[in-house]
Amino acid sequence: MAVSQPDLDAQGRDWVTAVRRGDVRRCARLITRIEARDETVTPIVQALYRQGGRSAVIGITGPPGAGKSTLVDKLIARYRARSQSVAVLAVDPASPFSGGAILGDRVRMARHNADDGVFIRSMSARGMLGGLARAAGDALCVLDAMGKDVILLETVGVGQSEIDIVRHALTVLIVQTPAGGDAVQAVKAGILEVGDVFALNKADAPGADRAVAALREAVEFRNDPHDANAWRPPIVQTQAPDGIGVDALLEALDGHLAHWRTHPEALRRRRLSQARSVLTDLVRDGLHRRHERGGESAARFAGMLDDLVDRRSDPHAAAARILTGLT
Amino acid sequence: MATDPDSLAETPPPSAADLAARIEDVSVKLSRTATWSGIETQAAYGPGDLKHHDYARDSGDPGQYPYTRGAYAQMYRSRMWTLRNIVGYGAPEDTRDGIAGALKMGTAGIDVVIDTLSQEAIDPDHPAFGADAGQEGCSLATVRDLEILLAGIDVTQTDVAWHSTMMIYPLVVAMALKQNRDLSKLLGSHMPDHLQLRLAGWSEAIVPAELGSRTTADCIEYSVKHSPRWALGCPQAYDLRERGVPASGEIAIGMAIAKQTLRDLAARGLGVDQVAPSLAWVSGSDIDFFEEVAKFRALRRIWARTMREQFGSQEPRAQRLRIACHTSGRSLVYAQPLNNLARATVQSLAALLGGVQALETCAYDEPICIPTEGARELATRTQQILAHEVGAARTADPLGGSYYVESLTDRVEADALALLAKIEGIGLIKAIEDGTVEGLMDEYNYGIQREIERGERIVVGVNKFQPKNEPPPQRFKFDPAHMAVHVRRFRQLKTDRDATLLRGKIDALYRVAQRRENSHPAMIDALMADASIGEVWGTVRVANGLPYDPFRVLDFPFDIPRL
Amino acid sequence: MSAATIRCLLGMLGTDVHSKGIRTLAQLLRDRGVEVIYLGEHNTAAGMVNALLAEDPDVLGLSFSTATYVHYTRELLEKMRAAGVGDVPLMLGGLIHRDDEPELRAMGVRGIFGPGSTTLQILQFLRDVTGKPLPV
Repeated sequence: MAVSQPDLDAQGRDWVTAVRRGDVRRCARLITRIEARDETVTPIVQALYRQGGRSAVIGITGPPGAGKSTLVDKLIARYRARSQSVAVLAVDPASPFSGGAILGDRVRMARHNADDGVFIRSMSARGMLGGLARAAGDALCVLDAMGKDVILLETVGVGQSEIDIVRHALTVLIVQTPAGGDAVQAVKAGILEVGDVFALNKADAPGADRAVAALREAVEFRNDPHDANAWRPPIVQTQAPDGIGVDALLEALDGHLAHWRTHPEALRRRRLSQARSVLTDLVRDGLHRRHERGGESAARFAGMLDDLVDRRSDPHAAAARILTGLT
Repeated sequence: MATDPDSLAETPPPSAADLAARIEDVSVKLSRTATWSGIETQAAYGPGDLKHHDYARDSGDPGQYPYTRGAYAQMYRSRMWTLRNIVGYGAPEDTRDGIAGALKMGTAGIDVVIDTLSQEAIDPDHPAFGADAGQEGCSLATVRDLEILLAGIDVTQTDVAWHSTMMIYPLVVAMALKQNRDLSKLLGSHMPDHLQLRLAGWSEAIVPAELGSRTTADCIEYSVKHSPRWALGCPQAYDLRERGVPASGEIAIGMAIAKQTLRDLAARGLGVDQVAPSLAWVSGSDIDFFEEVAKFRALRRIWARTMREQFGSQEPRAQRLRIACHTSGRSLVYAQPLNNLARATVQSLAALLGGVQALETCAYDEPICIPTEGARELATRTQQILAHEVGAARTADPLGGSYYVESLTDRVEADALALLAKIEGIGLIKAIEDGTVEGLMDEYNYGIQREIERGERIVVGVNKFQPKNEPPPQRFKFDPAHMAVHVRRFRQLKTDRDATLLRGKIDALYRVAQRRENSHPAMIDALMADASIGEVWGTVRVANGLPYDPFRVLDFPFDIPRL
Repeated sequence: MSAATIRCLLGMLGTDVHSKGIRTLAQLLRDRGVEVIYLGEHNTAAGMVNALLAEDPDVLGLSFSTATYVHYTRELLEKMRAAGVGDVPLMLGGLIHRDDEPELRAMGVRGIFGPGSTTLQILQFLRDVTGKPLPV
């Protein structure tokens, strides 16, 4: 049962046309409004989503300092060499205290600045607790509708919010290094569940072989031995600054996309799972914004919080009261 | 209240409020007990602070290991420091005029600074950055340019120092060979330290750390073997310091670079005693007088011990470090620039009491523009006053034995060794490539700026005692006519030169660079065939898998087979 | 990023390597709640305009310590107008000589922050030119 979309007005249709035409400035403007949580552009995003789905979206994450930006820079060059257009959404964590941020990922890709076939956009995570994934998802709709062949969605970290972001991608690349027990960190963080391709960067560093082995073991553990059709995530060793291993990495990424093409049921399952996550997030977000206080006034709500802190009440009781008020 | 100097009316007496404000303005209060780099100091020092000192072990006499007190026993009585002035702007003929002027003023040594394009081995006809040619330095792209600049100068008789890293040495050698000079008599110096460039704002695109480091070793190897009288300013710690590190950081990063370079050369069969005597440490002299003196002393001690204990040096000439100093440009202030005369004087005095072998005093208008001739003259006079009137050169290490200075020396040394260990723990090249070193520098600058904005660090003219109604400073201007001629001449040379001969040289250079052999003989050959620095370095880049033009505007212009 | 976040693109044009000022400024602006998109050194005017198009910042800031800023600024503004982003406010910092200010302003530069300028002055400019409040 298709849910109908509110009609777009003339202005909205104009935006959609501009995006599909690849008008860089208009696309950028739209993304700014999305980042600012401007609800008036939501209908446009809705229309773009419905018309989209053509770009290959590759999510890239990993611990800080793993060398992701350098790898992304090299990958862009390879895609361009194949005459494929590229969009990059580089999501950086923000400063926790003041809400400001320095988004510096694109410096490492600076050589592509003068290339019209590459669109690079930086996005900060600030002030969007949970809303970042939504904004990234909406921005992806824009980039997808622009007609870019490849979209690289780059973020940093191995936490839940990063996982939520890269879940929008059809292929998730996790970049790690031999140092700092990354493999252990990843296992704990759950990022291993999400990765389709793994790159072990700085592969010339001490401990690389051990790290590859640990990674392989962890990945094997999650693989289903009975499913012959399942994708087995490859681990590619790279040395990003020298470009070593980049061709193999590209091959692995191409391979995963090809896998989807030859396994449409698996692809559909993945897409359904993504859709579910996205929808759940949106609904949860919407519910929360609309009903954070339930039917309580602001003053009563504040009083409920006081009661909790002073132990006159408890969280379960308070939540039940709000939920009851909703029905 | 402004008064009209032409008015005959009597100036009314200042009000009580005016007076109070003026007195506040001239009072001097202690605003800081830490050194400029942040080392806390005591109200007084005494023998108790030096209980652990052993004179022979920690100081030695001047001219004796570990050379804390100076490189030579008699210091300036036996050899006066070289008074240098930096000159460089516009086309080669413009700078040649500047050199003539400097020599007339009494400068013993010439130091030529190159424009940013030439420093980055970019040709002056680059389509995107041609506007930068001749600015901030002399535009030098070919051997012919050098011939114009140095017309009448025999480089085996006159010591010309070059404030540049990339390509300048091969250019000078190419010219000398073309003039049939004996390279073994070549006089002069330059600064072959590429890693410092990489840290001082030249990104990986312009100077890749690994290629830069290897080229430094290539240059030193060639020079040590062929031009033993040529001095090699490595590390170039002046720009490291200016980029943003404390005094101890200048030593630490400089030592990391020096040690890396010496290890690279040892791997090529050149031992420390063959190389180190040709090296000179290029240093700054910043605004904290006592800290700088301590820095120079700590530096010599660390160098001597490192050469002997870690590299097995047995040659005093390898252990006693020679220091070339340029007073700090960054510490000078744009507002009320004449105050910079006082700053540069104190910094120059610190350098002399610190025992340097060559000194360039910054011109007072350095923050504003390329130094005017008047400012350069005053910089020269500053040194002459220090030499002849102040007695700065009379006695070796005059502050040696001061409880304060010896304690500060120990502290700067300890901080430097700690940071050095941290950098070497990561590995210098890695620490550069992954941004660790730059991160330290950014953090340092950030901290200073915050202190300035909060008034916790007073800089006269910047956040206190600001001048009112200052007229805009005078600017150095030169006639751009020569630059236009220079660029036309350059383009003409590219048409007139023997293209076939050049192509062969470029091909040979490409192959040598591909095999990762020492690139210098082939670079010199190509320059002698009228290649430009952009073409030569661009070929080396291409052979190393990098784009010809770091800005990716130009493509490799030579039709040679490439693997 | 909330609607009120000021977004500022910072970078350098030309072969100038003195980036410590702009790096320090980036950190100080971040502390005050600004989202800084950092382009670094060695940008061509064309590259900077592309970044401007894609990042859609509220303000563009350039830092210069060489004497060629008038030339590069003019070139940049021309390219910005040709690309349809001539309306993005431009501020310059670094060693800008007072004698050049009238010409720069006539060209369209909105803010000039020469030696001795403080972060507060720059923040006030950002607030005035974007109409967004200073968060902290």
